[in-house]
Amino acid sequence: MITSTLDRSGEALGRLALGDMSAFEDIVKEHQSMVFSIAYHFLHDRSLADEAAQDVFLRLYQNLASIMSPQHLVFWLRKVACQRALDTARKLPKTPPVSLEDIAEPTEESPDTDPLLSEGLRRMVASLPKDARAVIILRYQEELELAEIARILDVPLNTVKSRLERALGVLREKLSRWTGGVAR
Amino acid sequence: MNPWEESLREALRRKDVPPGFTNRVLARIRELPVRDKRTWFRFRAFIARPALRWATAVLCMAIAVGVAYRGRQDRQRRQGEMARTQVKQALRIASVKLNAARRMVQEVNQGTAQSRL
Repeated sequence: MITSTLDRSGEALGRLALGDMSAFEDIVKEHQSMVFSIAYHFLHDRSLADEAAQDVFLRLYQNLASIMSPQHLVFWLRKVACQRALDTARKLPKTPPVSLEDIAEPTEESPDTDPLLSEGLRRMVASLPKDARAVIILRYQEELELAEIARILDVPLNTVKSRLERALGVLREKLSRWTGGVAR
Repeated sequence: MNPWEESLREALRRKDVPPGFTNRVLARIRELPVRDKRTWFRFRAFIARPALRWATAVLCMAIAVGVAYRGRQDRQRRQGEMARTQVKQALRIASVKLNAARRMVQEVNQGTAQSRL
Protein backbone atom coordinates (compact mmCIF):
# COMPACT_ATOMS: atom_id res chain seq x y z
CA MET A 1 0.00 0.00 0.00
CA ILE A 2 2.83 2.38 0.90
CA THR A 3 4.58 1.46 -2.33
CA SER A 4 1.48 2.13 -4.38
CA THR A 5 1.09 5.51 -2.67
CA LEU A 6 4.68 6.32 -3.58
CA ASP A 7 4.10 5.04 -7.12
CA ARG A 8 1.06 7.26 -7.54
CA SER A 9 2.92 10.23 -6.08
CA GLY A 10 5.88 9.58 -8.37
CA GLU A 11 3.61 9.42 -11.38
CA ALA A 12 1.86 12.64 -10.33
CA LEU A 13 5.20 14.41 -9.79
CA GLY A 14 6.28 13.33 -13.26
CA ARG A 15 3.10 14.78 -14.77
CA LEU A 16 3.61 17.99 -12.80
CA ALA A 17 7.14 18.33 -14.15
CA LEU A 18 5.66 18.19 -17.63
CA GLY A 19 3.30 21.02 -16.76
CA ASP A 20 0.16 19.00 -16.02
CA MET A 21 -1.28 20.98 -13.12
CA SER A 22 -4.15 18.53 -12.57
CA ALA A 23 -1.57 16.18 -11.08
CA PHE A 24 -1.35 18.45 -8.04
CA GLU A 25 -4.95 17.61 -7.19
CA ASP A 26 -4.00 13.93 -7.19
CA ILE A 27 -1.11 14.67 -4.82
CA VAL A 28 -3.43 16.56 -2.46
CA LYS A 29 -5.96 13.71 -2.48
CA GLU A 30 -3.23 11.15 -1.88
CA HIS A 31 -1.72 12.86 1.16
CA GLN A 32 -4.46 15.06 2.61
CA SER A 33 -5.46 12.52 5.22
CA MET A 34 -1.90 12.25 6.54
CA VAL A 35 -1.36 16.01 6.67
CA PHE A 36 -4.77 16.78 8.16
CA SER A 37 -4.40 14.04 10.79
CA ILE A 38 -0.99 15.31 11.93
CA ALA A 39 -2.48 18.78 12.34
CA TYR A 40 -5.67 17.48 13.95
CA HIS A 41 -3.93 15.26 16.49
CA PHE A 42 -1.61 18.14 17.29
CA LEU A 43 -4.26 20.85 17.64
CA HIS A 44 -7.32 18.77 18.51
CA ASP A 45 -9.46 21.22 16.57
CA ARG A 46 -10.88 20.31 13.17
CA SER A 47 -11.17 23.84 11.76
CA LEU A 48 -7.66 24.81 12.85
CA ALA A 49 -6.33 21.54 11.48
CA ASP A 50 -8.19 22.12 8.21
CA GLU A 51 -6.61 25.55 7.82
CA ALA A 52 -3.15 24.31 8.78
CA ALA A 53 -3.37 21.41 6.33
CA GLN A 54 -4.46 23.80 3.54
CA ASP A 55 -1.44 25.98 4.30
CA VAL A 56 0.83 22.95 4.07
CA PHE A 57 -0.43 22.12 0.57
CA LEU A 58 -0.18 25.75 -0.46
CA ARG A 59 3.45 25.76 0.62
CA LEU A 60 3.96 22.50 -1.23
CA TYR A 61 2.59 24.08 -4.38
CA GLN A 62 5.00 26.98 -4.02
CA ASN A 63 7.93 24.64 -3.40
CA LEU A 64 7.16 21.85 -5.85
CA ALA A 65 10.38 22.41 -7.72
CA SER A 66 12.39 21.42 -4.66
CA ILE A 67 10.71 18.02 -4.34
CA MET A 68 13.15 15.36 -5.51
CA SER A 69 11.15 12.14 -5.25
CA PRO A 70 7.92 10.63 -3.85
CA GLN A 71 9.79 9.70 -0.66
CA HIS A 72 11.03 13.25 -0.35
CA LEU A 73 7.48 14.49 -0.89
CA VAL A 74 6.15 12.45 2.05
CA PHE A 75 9.08 13.49 4.25
CA TRP A 76 8.54 17.14 3.28
CA LEU A 77 4.80 17.01 3.98
CA ARG A 78 5.29 15.44 7.41
CA LYS A 79 7.98 17.95 8.32
CA VAL A 80 6.01 20.99 7.18
CA ALA A 81 2.78 19.68 8.73
CA CYS A 82 4.55 19.36 12.08
CA GLN A 83 6.09 22.83 11.76
CA ARG A 84 2.77 24.38 10.75
CA ALA A 85 0.89 22.67 13.59
CA LEU A 86 3.58 23.77 16.02
CA ASP A 87 3.32 27.38 14.79
CA THR A 88 -0.46 27.35 15.11
CA ALA A 89 -0.25 25.88 18.59
CA ARG A 90 2.23 28.60 19.61
CA LYS A 91 -0.14 31.33 18.41
CA LEU A 92 -3.10 29.93 20.32
CA PRO A 93 -3.94 31.57 23.62
CA LYS A 94 -2.38 29.60 26.42
CA THR A 95 -4.93 27.19 27.83
CA PRO A 96 -4.45 25.04 30.88
CA PRO A 97 -3.76 21.39 30.12
CA VAL A 98 -6.86 19.24 29.82
CA SER A 99 -7.68 17.94 33.24
CA LEU A 100 -8.71 14.38 33.77
CA GLU A 101 -12.07 15.58 34.98
CA ASP A 102 -12.79 17.02 31.54
CA ILE A 103 -12.61 13.58 30.01
CA ALA A 104 -15.69 11.45 30.35
CA GLU A 105 -15.30 8.39 32.53
CA PRO A 106 -15.23 5.14 30.65
CA THR A 107 -18.26 3.09 31.54
CA GLU A 108 -16.56 -0.27 31.41
CA GLU A 109 -13.25 -1.93 30.73
CA SER A 110 -12.46 -0.77 27.21
CA PRO A 111 -11.27 -2.82 24.28
CA ASP A 112 -8.61 -1.32 22.00
CA THR A 113 -11.12 0.23 19.65
CA ASP A 114 -13.28 1.80 22.33
CA PRO A 115 -14.19 5.23 20.91
CA LEU A 116 -14.34 6.72 24.39
CA LEU A 117 -10.85 5.52 25.21
CA SER A 118 -9.61 6.75 21.84
CA GLU A 119 -11.08 10.19 22.40
CA GLY A 120 -9.58 10.29 25.89
CA LEU A 121 -6.17 9.36 24.54
CA ARG A 122 -6.40 11.97 21.81
CA ARG A 123 -7.19 14.64 24.41
CA MET A 124 -4.31 13.45 26.57
CA VAL A 125 -1.96 13.62 23.57
CA ALA A 126 -3.23 17.13 22.80
CA SER A 127 -2.39 18.17 26.37
CA LEU A 128 1.25 17.03 26.11
CA PRO A 129 4.04 19.58 25.65
CA LYS A 130 4.32 20.50 21.95
CA ASP A 131 7.65 18.81 21.27
CA ALA A 132 6.59 15.57 22.91
CA ARG A 133 3.25 15.72 21.10
CA ALA A 134 4.99 15.82 17.74
CA VAL A 135 7.06 12.76 18.63
CA ILE A 136 4.00 10.82 19.80
CA ILE A 137 2.00 11.68 16.67
CA LEU A 138 4.80 10.73 14.30
CA ARG A 139 5.46 7.54 16.24
CA TYR A 140 1.90 6.28 16.65
CA GLN A 141 -0.02 7.91 13.81
CA GLU A 142 2.66 7.65 11.13
CA GLU A 143 4.38 4.63 12.73
CA LEU A 144 7.82 6.02 11.99
CA GLU A 145 11.15 4.81 13.30
CA LEU A 146 12.82 7.06 15.86
CA ALA A 147 15.63 7.96 13.44
CA GLU A 148 13.10 9.13 10.88
CA ILE A 149 11.29 11.20 13.53
CA ALA A 150 14.61 12.78 14.48
CA ARG A 151 15.19 13.68 10.83
CA ILE A 152 11.72 15.22 10.45
CA LEU A 153 11.91 17.23 13.67
CA ASP A 154 15.57 18.05 13.08
CA VAL A 155 16.66 17.00 16.57
CA PRO A 156 19.18 14.38 17.78
CA LEU A 157 18.01 10.79 18.05
CA ASN A 158 18.57 10.74 21.81
CA THR A 159 16.31 13.76 22.21
CA VAL A 160 13.55 11.90 20.38
CA LYS A 161 14.08 8.86 22.61
CA SER A 162 13.91 10.88 25.79
CA ARG A 163 10.87 12.88 24.64
CA LEU A 164 9.09 9.69 23.69
CA GLU A 165 9.86 7.98 26.99
CA ARG A 166 8.79 11.02 28.97
CA ALA A 167 5.59 11.47 26.95
CA LEU A 168 4.70 7.80 27.24
CA GLY A 169 5.30 8.00 30.98
CA VAL A 170 2.94 10.95 31.31
CA LEU A 171 0.30 9.32 29.10
CA ARG A 172 0.57 6.02 30.95
CA GLU A 173 0.11 7.77 34.26
CA LYS A 174 -2.85 9.81 33.02
CA LEU A 175 -4.45 6.78 31.46
CA SER A 176 -3.90 4.76 34.60
CA ARG A 177 -5.57 7.44 36.74
CA TRP A 178 -8.37 7.85 34.20
CA THR A 179 -9.17 4.17 34.05
CA GLY A 180 -8.72 3.74 37.77
CA GLY A 181 -5.50 1.74 37.53
CA VAL A 182 -6.74 -0.71 34.91
CA ALA A 183 -4.33 0.36 32.17
CA ARG A 184 -0.75 -0.97 32.20
CA MET B 1 3.98 -2.68 21.26
CA ASN B 2 2.04 -3.33 24.45
CA PRO B 3 -1.80 -3.19 24.57
CA TRP B 4 -2.06 0.39 25.72
CA GLU B 5 0.39 1.55 23.08
CA GLU B 6 -1.81 -0.30 20.63
CA SER B 7 -4.74 1.76 21.97
CA LEU B 8 -2.69 4.88 21.39
CA ARG B 9 -1.96 3.85 17.83
CA GLU B 10 -5.65 3.15 17.33
CA ALA B 11 -6.61 6.55 18.79
CA LEU B 12 -4.15 8.35 16.53
CA ARG B 13 -5.25 6.66 13.33
CA ARG B 14 -5.43 8.95 10.31
CA LYS B 15 -8.68 10.88 10.01
CA ASP B 16 -10.67 11.71 6.93
CA VAL B 17 -10.42 15.32 5.88
CA PRO B 18 -13.50 17.55 6.19
CA PRO B 19 -15.70 17.55 3.06
CA GLY B 20 -14.53 19.88 0.30
CA PHE B 21 -10.95 20.04 1.58
CA THR B 22 -9.34 19.43 -1.82
CA ASN B 23 -11.51 22.09 -3.48
CA ARG B 24 -10.61 24.62 -0.81
CA VAL B 25 -6.90 23.96 -1.36
CA LEU B 26 -7.27 24.27 -5.13
CA ALA B 27 -9.32 27.46 -4.75
CA ARG B 28 -6.57 29.02 -2.66
CA ILE B 29 -4.02 28.01 -5.27
CA ARG B 30 -6.10 29.67 -7.98
CA GLU B 31 -5.88 32.89 -5.94
CA LEU B 32 -2.09 32.82 -6.04
CA PRO B 33 -0.31 35.33 -8.29
CA VAL B 34 -0.23 34.21 -11.94
CA ARG B 35 3.58 34.04 -11.99
CA ASP B 36 3.51 31.17 -9.49
CA LYS B 37 1.06 29.25 -11.57
CA ARG B 38 2.50 29.51 -15.06
CA THR B 39 5.87 30.69 -16.34
CA TRP B 40 7.74 30.76 -13.08
CA PHE B 41 6.48 27.39 -11.93
CA ARG B 42 7.14 25.78 -15.28
CA PHE B 43 10.65 27.23 -15.36
CA ARG B 44 11.39 25.97 -11.86
CA ALA B 45 9.83 22.62 -12.60
CA PHE B 46 11.86 22.43 -15.81
CA ILE B 47 15.20 23.13 -14.16
CA ALA B 48 14.32 20.75 -11.34
CA ARG B 49 13.67 17.82 -13.66
CA PRO B 50 15.83 14.84 -12.72
CA ALA B 51 16.94 14.33 -16.34
CA LEU B 52 18.15 17.91 -16.55
CA ARG B 53 19.93 17.59 -13.23
CA TRP B 54 21.72 14.47 -14.45
CA ALA B 55 22.60 16.12 -17.75
CA THR B 56 24.04 19.11 -15.87
CA ALA B 57 26.02 16.79 -13.60
CA VAL B 58 27.40 14.86 -16.60
CA LEU B 59 28.27 18.12 -18.38
CA CYS B 60 30.08 19.45 -15.30
CA MET B 61 31.93 16.16 -14.98
CA ALA B 62 32.94 16.25 -18.67
CA ILE B 63 34.16 19.84 -18.33
CA ALA B 64 36.15 18.93 -15.20
CA VAL B 65 37.73 15.92 -16.94
CA GLY B 66 38.49 18.03 -20.03
CA VAL B 67 40.12 20.78 -17.98
CA ALA B 68 42.19 18.22 -16.05
CA TYR B 69 43.25 16.48 -19.29
CA ARG B 70 44.20 19.79 -20.91
CA GLY B 71 46.18 20.82 -17.84
CA ARG B 72 48.05 17.54 -17.88
CA GLN B 73 48.90 17.94 -21.58
CA ASP B 74 50.17 21.49 -20.99
CA ARG B 75 52.33 20.30 -18.13
CA GLN B 76 53.82 17.48 -20.26
CA ARG B 77 54.49 19.91 -23.13
CA ARG B 78 56.26 22.33 -20.81
CA GLN B 79 58.38 19.50 -19.36
CA GLY B 80 59.27 18.34 -22.89
CA GLU B 81 60.33 21.84 -23.94
CA MET B 82 62.42 22.22 -20.83
CA ALA B 83 64.13 18.87 -21.47
CA ARG B 84 64.87 19.85 -25.10
CA THR B 85 66.42 23.14 -23.98
CA GLN B 86 68.57 21.30 -21.44
CA VAL B 87 69.73 18.76 -24.07
CA LYS B 88 70.61 21.58 -26.51
CA GLN B 89 72.58 23.37 -23.84
CA ALA B 90 74.38 20.17 -22.90
CA LEU B 91 75.26 19.56 -26.55
CA ARG B 92 76.50 23.12 -26.88
CA ILE B 93 78.74 22.75 -23.83
CA ALA B 94 80.01 19.40 -25.06
CA SER B 95 80.76 20.91 -28.45
CA VAL B 96 82.75 23.78 -26.92
CA LYS B 97 84.72 21.34 -24.77
CA LEU B 98 85.41 19.06 -27.74
CA ASN B 99 86.59 21.96 -29.86
CA ALA B 100 88.92 23.06 -27.08
CA ALA B 101 90.26 19.54 -26.71
CA ARG B 102 90.74 19.23 -30.47
CA ARG B 103 92.65 22.51 -30.53
CA MET B 104 94.89 21.31 -27.73
CA VAL B 105 95.56 18.03 -29.51
CA GLN B 106 96.38 19.92 -32.71
CA GLU B 107 98.74 22.22 -30.81
CA VAL B 108 100.42 19.25 -29.15
CA ASN B 109 100.79 17.50 -32.54
CA GLN B 110 102.21 20.64 -34.16
CA GLY B 111 104.72 21.04 -31.28
CA THR B 112 105.87 17.42 -31.66
CA ALA B 113 106.34 17.78 -35.40
CA GLN B 114 108.37 20.95 -35.01
CA SER B 115 110.62 19.33 -32.42
CA ARG B 116 111.27 16.40 -34.81
CA LEU B 117 112.31 18.78 -37.54
